[in-house]
Amino acid sequence: MRRLRKWLRSKPNARLEQEVAFPEESFELAYDLEQNERKLRQLFPNCSDLVFRNVRLNAKTECLVVYLTTLVDEQVIEEHILKPLLASSESLKPYPEDRISVGKIERTKQGQELVRQLLHGYTAILTSMNEQAWLVRTNGGKQRSLEEPSSEPVIRGPRDGFIENISTNMGLLRSRLKTSTLRMEALTVGRLTQTQVVISYLEGIAKQAVVDEVRERIARIRIDGIIDSSYIEEFIEDCPYSPFPQVHSTERPDVVAAELLEGRVAILVENTPFVLVVPMTLMTGVQASEDYYIRWPIATFVRWIRFLFISIAIFAPPLYVAITTFHQEMIPTNLVISIASSREAVPFPALIEAMLMEIIFEALREAGIRLPKQIGQAVSIVGALVIGQAAVLAGIISAPVVIIVSITGIAAFTIPRYSFANGIRLLRFPMLFLAGTLGLYGIVLGFIAILLHVTSLRSFGVPYFTPISFGSIKDIFIRAPIWAKTLRPQIAGSEPSYREPEGQQPSPRRGKRP
Amino acid sequence: MKRAIAGVLLVSMLLVSGCWDRTEINDLAFVSGAAFDLTKDGEYLLSLQIAIPSSSQGGVGSSDGEKEKFFVLSAVGNNANEAFEKLQKKSSRRLFPAHRSVIFIGEALARHGINDILDVFTHDPRQRLRTYIMVVKGGEGLDILEAKYPFEQVPIEAIKEMEALSSELAVTLGEFFMAASSPGISPVMGVIMSEGDSGGVKSGDKQLVKLAGLAFFKEMKVVGFLDSEETNGFLWLTDRMKYGRINAIISEGDVKGNVGMTLNSAHRKITTEVNGGAPKVRIQLQGVGSLVENNTRLDISRPNNLKLVQHALEQSVERQVRDVVAKLQKQYKVDSVGFGMDMYQNHYKQWKTLQPKWEQTFPEVKVAVDVQLALTGVGMAGPPLQLKEEEIVK
Repeated sequence: MRRLRKWLRSKPNARLEQEVAFPEESFELAYDLEQNERKLRQLFPNCSDLVFRNVRLNAKTECLVVYLTTLVDEQVIEEHILKPLLASSESLKPYPEDRISVGKIERTKQGQELVRQLLHGYTAILTSMNEQAWLVRTNGGKQRSLEEPSSEPVIRGPRDGFIENISTNMGLLRSRLKTSTLRMEALTVGRLTQTQVVISYLEGIAKQAVVDEVRERIARIRIDGIIDSSYIEEFIEDCPYSPFPQVHSTERPDVVAAELLEGRVAILVENTPFVLVVPMTLMTGVQASEDYYIRWPIATFVRWIRFLFISIAIFAPPLYVAITTFHQEMIPTNLVISIASSREAVPFPALIEAMLMEIIFEALREAGIRLPKQIGQAVSIVGALVIGQAAVLAGIISAPVVIIVSITGIAAFTIPRYSFANGIRLLRFPMLFLAGTLGLYGIVLGFIAILLHVTSLRSFGVPYFTPISFGSIKDIFIRAPIWAKTLRPQIAGSEPSYREPEGQQPSPRRGKRP
Repeated sequence: MKRAIAGVLLVSMLLVSGCWDRTEINDLAFVSGAAFDLTKDGEYLLSLQIAIPSSSQGGVGSSDGEKEKFFVLSAVGNNANEAFEKLQKKSSRRLFPAHRSVIFIGEALARHGINDILDVFTHDPRQRLRTYIMVVKGGEGLDILEAKYPFEQVPIEAIKEMEALSSELAVTLGEFFMAASSPGISPVMGVIMSEGDSGGVKSGDKQLVKLAGLAFFKEMKVVGFLDSEETNGFLWLTDRMKYGRINAIISEGDVKGNVGMTLNSAHRKITTEVNGGAPKVRIQLQGVGSLVENNTRLDISRPNNLKLVQHALEQSVERQVRDVVAKLQKQYKVDSVGFGMDMYQNHYKQWKTLQPKWEQTFPEVKVAVDVQLALTGVGMAGPPLQLKEEEIVK
């Protein structure tokens, strides 16, 4: 373990450091237009999508429009940049910004800044005899339409999901929280990908210390590229060795909006529909968004089912193994005899049997996810036949183990947060091993170890176990009616704050005059 | 490095302290019942019934006749442990007694005394004190073990279920030990008989067994038996009566016939009085139940008729109880109900003087029995429905 850690933390030598760092040439724009054009062409050799368009404004001023056709909305360029520029050729105004009818225009003298913005879909306008360039926001490009997130479907509730375009995602949040206190701080991460990262929170509700910490941790990241928000997640989590996720990732804007209202901080990352929310607590892992959209008694019931099945997901196979190999006296006589008779022909010890089945199950699950949808069905049929029937009939696996493993499989699927479910699934294997070697004693040891770990875990300074206290009980073991949840859930140390006045329980008497 | 060693030591502390008792479930032989008998040479014959986990795996069309559900192993030894060791040598799987539900003791052994075989149950943690223990009347324990009861997967389970129904006296090892070690009470045990011998139902080679009353122990030896009928009285006396049935015959003038009730709850209260001379015992019995049978011409929806029935039932119970008390006092002279125990608990000083000669005093104890039954329901009809209007006694 220590070696592993050492290896994980090992520093690359100096030579490697040099190669990782791509020194960006910083240059000032020149006074001469041709020189600038030469410089740009030199910076983007073999770039077929880079467009240089010369426009003569008047006798002495020439103008150069530069953009990457793949990133921009060309209609905007034609309508709002080229057309006005061409039309006003005799005008005295030397500044293009007076003619261009696009909202966002910036000026820069930095060549480096110009290149950066070009790559973000801006259009650069350079004029002769001017060391200043105009950057016009024209980004467009391809984006997919809003769809229901496939990883978190609901029956009742909003159906839009985040997409890969960050400004659309920001818009989804803005349209839910129409307040000036919704902050959207932009950062850029990744030397080559220049990925835009936006920290979003509600000023006054989110704890400032957490916001500062998030900003600082993201700013600390040094990497060539960010492909998905999981890259950010791995850089900013508190305990990288834990099987439990400490950053909540979701595709649902309604979830993010609700969590912002609870005082959490969202991190939007460009080019991924998964938005990160911190701090995450254990209970986030068992709260599905739909809990809040269905009637509260049912939501409470479902939540209890979930608690039950989470414990089944961790403990059912180990308990079966422990009890059948160590504590046979605990099983009722008739049951022990039927278990014994089903194990009669099985050549493996119960531990090996259960391990085998669990691993096969995991393999099937993995195959089902990776395969194209059409073949996925075939895999599940074959899997069900092979595991359910053939293995039992052949006497290689006993029927109770098949039952236990399938219950466990279903149990893991009841966990609404995918990354949390993954952690739970992984924990099953050490628990199984402990149970097979030490019996119930081993299960107790394993449980204590998990408990110790979970209670000492923190996510951005907030203890992972946080909401399990009397104060915020209304959203844990029961899902209290919305009108009863007057207080915001308290996230470590924050002052209690009201989200609604008390006494809003609907009843026939309400609203009547005395 | 030091930390690594410390870590290894810490972990090993968890792992090495304790016994490694991992056994696969199919390496165990589940003992479902045990029987102790006395051989002619005065040695003990220990027999174990071992369940065969019938490999009914898959079970697709493989109904290959009747499979044996169990087999019986026997061995002779000077004590239980020696016999058990011999049995283990005969078994390819480890004998696992934790699932044993009943222990049978042959009558011969029971009369000889069971002191020598009982102790083994108290030491081994895998032996359960909740195991039922029974005497086999007029037979050997081994015979019962070999009986093939058709219902349950393991025949002995059937006997356990019978006991659990508590229609008869059911005594567990723990209760037996408690009664044996307490002052002023002698232990009893349930009795089982093989039905086949008494010309009862015999279907094929199925041999049926029945619960048949109880056995009194005195100094760990059986001194007498009560049959099923009398056991009812004993159940009343020891507050074990729960859901029994009571029958009574009514003959009042021209009204003749019998009535029957079932009990929903029953309660016993025992008070002892020691004022020099012979101690007095007052037993109050209360029962609540409903009438289930009325073979008389009485219309029991009438309160005075109901009272008549109630009285007859009360007398029937009283007679039962008195019979048992008389048998205990006069015939066997053994205080199985625990009159002495009640004195020990409530009149300790007087008990101290009584205790040494309790055996002589017990038959002299004056017993008063007081029965109160309450009929809370008479069922759906007053008089029997087949009677004509004029026949009914209103």
